[in-house]
This record gives sequence, C-alpha cells and structure tokens, in this order.
Amino acid sequence: MLPFLKIMVKNLLKGPSTDPFPFAPAKTPKRFRGCASHDESKCILCGICKHVCAAGAIQMRAAEDGSGVEYVLWHNSCVFCGMCAHYCPTGAVTMTDNWHLSHLAEEKYTFCETSFVAFGECSQCGARIQPRPQVIVDQLGTRSPDRFLLCPKCKRESQVKHATDKNLIQLREQQ
Amino acid sequence: MRNLINKLAPRSPWIYRLNAGSCNGCDVEMATAALIPRYDVERIGCKYCGSPRHADIVLISGPLTVRVRDKVLRVFDEIPHPKVTVGVGVCPVSGGCFRDGYSTGAPTDHYIPLDVIVPGCPPRPQAIIEGIVKALDVWRVRLTEATCCRS
Ligand code: SF4
Ligand code: SF4
Ligand code: SF4
Repeated sequence: MLPFLKIMVKNLLKGPSTDPFPFAPAKTPKRFRGCASHDESKCILCGICKHVCAAGAIQMRAAEDGSGVEYVLWHNSCVFCGMCAHYCPTGAVTMTDNWHLSHLAEEKYTFCETSFVAFGECSQCGARIQPRPQVIVDQLGTRSPDRFLLCPKCKRESQVKHATDKNLIQLREQQ
Repeated sequence: MRNLINKLAPRSPWIYRLNAGSCNGCDVEMATAALIPRYDVERIGCKYCGSPRHADIVLISGPLTVRVRDKVLRVFDEIPHPKVTVGVGVCPVSGGCFRDGYSTGAPTDHYIPLDVIVPGCPPRPQAIIEGIVKALDVWRVRLTEATCCRS
C-alpha cells in the first residue's frame, strides 16, 4: 500500500492540529514567559528590577509627599526577557503566562501596570526606611525580627550595644 | 450594493507585511502565523499579499530605522484607504531595545498612525492573530463610517 495513506488515516483520526485560538483558549507551556507582573505586597523597593531591565520598561517615581513610590511596568516596552523576575530578591516580579496583550492604539499610554508601594517606618525612631512587608519579615528577618525593622542608624546603634554587652559579659566571666 | 460589500469585505482581508527595519524576529512569527497549520491565519479569512496596492490590513514590524524610513513611508502611502495598521512587536510603539539608538529616530508610530498594537518581542503567533481579529473590528467600523486612518 502507498505509505502516505497510512499517515493520512492516522492524521485523520488524530483530528485537527490547529490551535483553536482565538475561539478557544490556546495551549500555553508551563514555563512560558508572558508579560511581567508586579506584586506590591512583596516589594521592598530595592530597585534591582529597574536596574537590570534592558528595555527600560520599569519606572519608579517617588510620590511628591514622600510617602512612597509609584511603580509602573510598561508592557509596551517590555521584551519578556525575565531578568526582573530572575533578580528580584523577594519574588515580587513574576512572569505570568498572559500573552493576550494586543490592544487598540488609544490605550497605548494606559496599557501598563501601576502600583503604589508605601515606605516603611523605623520601629524605633520613626524614620523613613524601605518597606518591610510581613511576607518579607517572615522570610528574611527571622534571625532578629526586632532589628529587621530598624533604620540603618538605629540598627548600628543596637548592634554596637549588643556587641558591648557581649564583651562586658565575657570580661566579667574572665575576671 | 455598497453596504453588502462593506459587510462582506472584512471577512476576507488581504494582509500586507511591512518591515520597517525589524530584527526579523517579528517577521518570522508573522510568517509562522500564516504558514504553519497549527496557527493558520487563513482560517479567519486572511491572506498575505505581495503588493501594497491590494492590502487592507498592514502589519508593521521594526522601529523604522533612518535608512528605510522614506521607503517605508512611500510604500505605506501606496496602500489604499481605508487601511488598518497593526504594529507587531514593541519596536513600532516604543522602539523596543533599539530605542534611542543611533540608527533609529522616533519610533514608527510618530510617522505612521497605528490602530492596533501587539506588544511582545516577538509576540506569539496567536497574539498576532488576536491583533488581526481586533484590526478586523476597526476595519468594519471604518468601512461603515467611511473614514481612514489619517482622518
Ligand atoms: S521582562 Fe525584561 S524587559 Fe520586561 S520588565 Fe522585566 S527586565 Fe524589563
Ligand atoms: S519588584 Fe523586586 S527587584 Fe523590583 S524593587 Fe521590588 S523587590 Fe526590588
Ligand atoms: S519587537 Fe523584538 S523581535 Fe520584533 S522586531 Fe523588535 S526587536 Fe525584533
């Protein structure tokens, strides 16, 4: 028998191979890099994502009243490289599997993801520090939770005090 | 008669691909959207055409480099009204990774009015098809209102 008949019958039984999109959801691989997404509840405003973004798709604008930072992610500039998600220390930026991004040109300047991240407060002197969301405290600040919430100055002082106390105890033990 | 044609026309648009200095990434995806049975842009009635004078929907890719600018604009003006322009990739809308480069001036949409934007670098073939479906809606409106992209 002609060999192509076998292939043809096999393919007929398999059904259409065309992706049904846009009339039905398309198949998306699990590790597909679609557009980036920012989760403000995890962001500590370190600015690494903005630093590594080659396309300049991330903007961080300080609010005028000094209460926080407006974080803007421009999907129309993003090249889906995934660097921001790779370098974000807290996992606040992730690459989603959303690639339904086509839009009308009128929405050009509104087609972005905007979120507001408020600054934190030093738990001792109340000075302005980077935000310390609870998720991050649970993740990174478990060794000394009280010191994790301090501003650099108070942290230094508390460390010096801690070290001096330790030295005094040692000296006393030696005597 | 005119109404009937206006109703039927958006069901079989001719697509024209205009490369405004793209890196070829988007062009490959556009070709993929047309050639591979898995995506198959022809199932929504579209067909790529070779001449700008036949085109209804223009897919533009690339940041409009200084070298091709005049040629691209000349070809673009040959496309009859009412044309619908689709910017494919981030290059036409923001310049993408070529932004502020020595060989590109302002991005494409400073010179050519875009109607639909499909961001991505490059966008997926399905995303391009989605953009074409959006462009068909724009075209339908344009036919009934008898407007063009410059009006
Ligand atoms: S994926 Fe790449 S281009 Fe997009 S925002 Fe992240 S770093 Fe920038
Ligand atoms: S999103 Fe991540 S990398 Fe960017 S500023 Fe926030 S914590 Fe830093
Ligand atoms: S959007 Fe990306 S893939 Fe498309 S032409 Fe520009 S650089 Fe190339």
